[in-house]
Amino acid sequence: MRDNALWIILQRLRIPLIVIIVTYAIAILGMVLIPGWDGEKAYHLTFFDAFYFISYTASTIGFGETPYEFTYSQRLWVVICIYLTVIGWFYTIGALVAIISDKTLKHELMKGRFRRHVQKLKSDFIIILGYNHVNAEIIRKLTLAGIEVVLIDHDADRINLFKLEESSMGVPVMVGNALLSSTLKDAGVNSPYCKAVVAHFYKEDKNLRITILTRFLNENVNVITKATLRDTMTALLDTDIAKVENPFEIFAKRFDIALTAPHILTLENWIYKNSDLADEASFLPQGRYIICGYGRLGKVIKEKLDKHGMDYIIIDEKGIGTKEMIKNETFIRANADDKEVLLTAGIESASVLVAGTQNDIDNISILITARKLNPELYLIARENTMKEISIFEATNANWLFMIEKILINKTSLQLSQPLKHSFLKKILYQDEEWGTSLVNLLKAQLGSNPQLLHLTINEEKAYAIYHALQEGEPIGLNILLKSLEDWTNYHKAIPLFLKRNGDEFLLPCNENLEIGDEILFACDALSREEIEIIALNVYDLHYVRTGEEVQNWLLQKIFNIKNKNQS
Amino acid sequence: MNLQKVISGFFFILAMTLNFGFFYGEMGNAEMHSTYELFAALIISLIATALKIGDKTQIGSVLLASSLVADIQLIVAVIVWTVIEYTSASGMTPYHTATIVSLSGGAFLANITSVILYIGETLKSKR
Repeated sequence: MRDNALWIILQRLRIPLIVIIVTYAIAILGMVLIPGWDGEKAYHLTFFDAFYFISYTASTIGFGETPYEFTYSQRLWVVICIYLTVIGWFYTIGALVAIISDKTLKHELMKGRFRRHVQKLKSDFIIILGYNHVNAEIIRKLTLAGIEVVLIDHDADRINLFKLEESSMGVPVMVGNALLSSTLKDAGVNSPYCKAVVAHFYKEDKNLRITILTRFLNENVNVITKATLRDTMTALLDTDIAKVENPFEIFAKRFDIALTAPHILTLENWIYKNSDLADEASFLPQGRYIICGYGRLGKVIKEKLDKHGMDYIIIDEKGIGTKEMIKNETFIRANADDKEVLLTAGIESASVLVAGTQNDIDNISILITARKLNPELYLIARENTMKEISIFEATNANWLFMIEKILINKTSLQLSQPLKHSFLKKILYQDEEWGTSLVNLLKAQLGSNPQLLHLTINEEKAYAIYHALQEGEPIGLNILLKSLEDWTNYHKAIPLFLKRNGDEFLLPCNENLEIGDEILFACDALSREEIEIIALNVYDLHYVRTGEEVQNWLLQKIFNIKNKNQS
Repeated sequence: MNLQKVISGFFFILAMTLNFGFFYGEMGNAEMHSTYELFAALIISLIATALKIGDKTQIGSVLLASSLVADIQLIVAVIVWTVIEYTSASGMTPYHTATIVSLSGGAFLANITSVILYIGETLKSKR
């Protein structure tokens, strides 16, 4: 019995029902027993007469006295009956109203609605746990991409807040504790359409718990979660189903790339749609780095600086430097928001400052002081929540590290456009030369903001190619790049990435296509259309392969006869 | 001793005994079967049903089902009686009385079932 709401109503109605039965029984019995007068002799009401009379009296309809006018002894009893039965009804109605406004019942009804709604979902969906800044943005991006989401939060106020949003249309929501397996089951984690669970709780043990629960409920579902501590991260990875996002590691990787291959970052920003390719890609300045705050961020940056043998100094109020750091004089234990401390750290000769404490206001204050002391400084700032975004922008920091934005971008890209995500993961390991040449190629051929096209070789998206491949005809990737106006020429699109069963090819050139291939193109509006037409249209595919139009077989025969006759 | 058990047991068994009281007697003879007894049997049966509502256990659902059967049989018996009394030209014949009494006999069987189940459940209980 899964539907608890019905049982709650029935259980609560037990006493009211008994009250009504008993009051009716007393009233009817009294009416039958008390003798009346039909004008000639004494008579007794039958049970039916009594039931009829009490029915309309108790419901306050009042048709009058039947079948004969009552005697005074009967009327005396009727007075008692009226009060008795009306009180019974009032009590029952009161109880019903109380049940309807009951919190438990409301919760059960909502749960029932939610479950039915989730069961009705017949396309891939994603379970989002917790409604916060990050998840709100992810839901918006996913619904834009046409992916269904299911939302759970333990706080009814936040769920109500979500219902006011535009993106909440048609999204099943429930107030519930996401840490319980029953809640996850209600949210449809066992459904074959459930693709992923997103858990970005601030407390990382919650994330771990959800991952383990999901692992046991349905191991085909991915869990996308965040972990900023290394031991939670390894624990999460051990579950085999978690895709762990550590914003600090992600940033450290970017930092590393910015030191060695900035054009790769330009490509990444273009794919995330943060900026376009025209942005100047420049290396992080060489020279002395000042790192304020030796927390999770400070530590990963230090590792990268060590790796490249750069000169740096760390300032932190609470942390304790290792022996090695004290020996090398790379650690100052002081408040970074102090002019004197920054001067001691050599801010006037430094080239980069990282404001990376856990406190946003401290970071802003450090940025302002540092800018005053050395206007040439390259500033990297950490922003913990997106609430203060405008103030951070006003400080003119050169590079903002926003934990929430990284999580939003990465999660929504991974869920809505997995191919782009794989491409990104691959290019992060390329060198500067590769990045520069690709950026220049894209800019020269397609302008500063090319579109991205994702093509899957299947019957729906590439009808013509799918059928040609099924007949065993080899088709190279270059066929897709040919111009429909002149088959000897090519249009402007550039294939960036090809994914086939697990194999990944970066910048594929004329690979033979197979069914199920996923290809990512950089293109403009015109070439996008051409690729889609070639993939779908049998006639156009024939033209770009052979340079001939497909002939109508009847006309062809007639022409052939004519030709023969002429010769 | 559990007061709740006393009350529900009281109503279940009373429903059965009253039903038996009405049922007992010559089949076709209307004088052997009191209307008051039928009325009491119906009311107590309805109360017993209300007491069984909302029990989510396996035995609870069977108890509720048997009680609903008894209710329906008794309600049909009452309706038949009323209709014949007021609308039939021939009035009460032994045939009609037999119908009413046998309907209440069915209800009596359902009542016995529910009482047996109730006793069985009580015996099974360790407390």
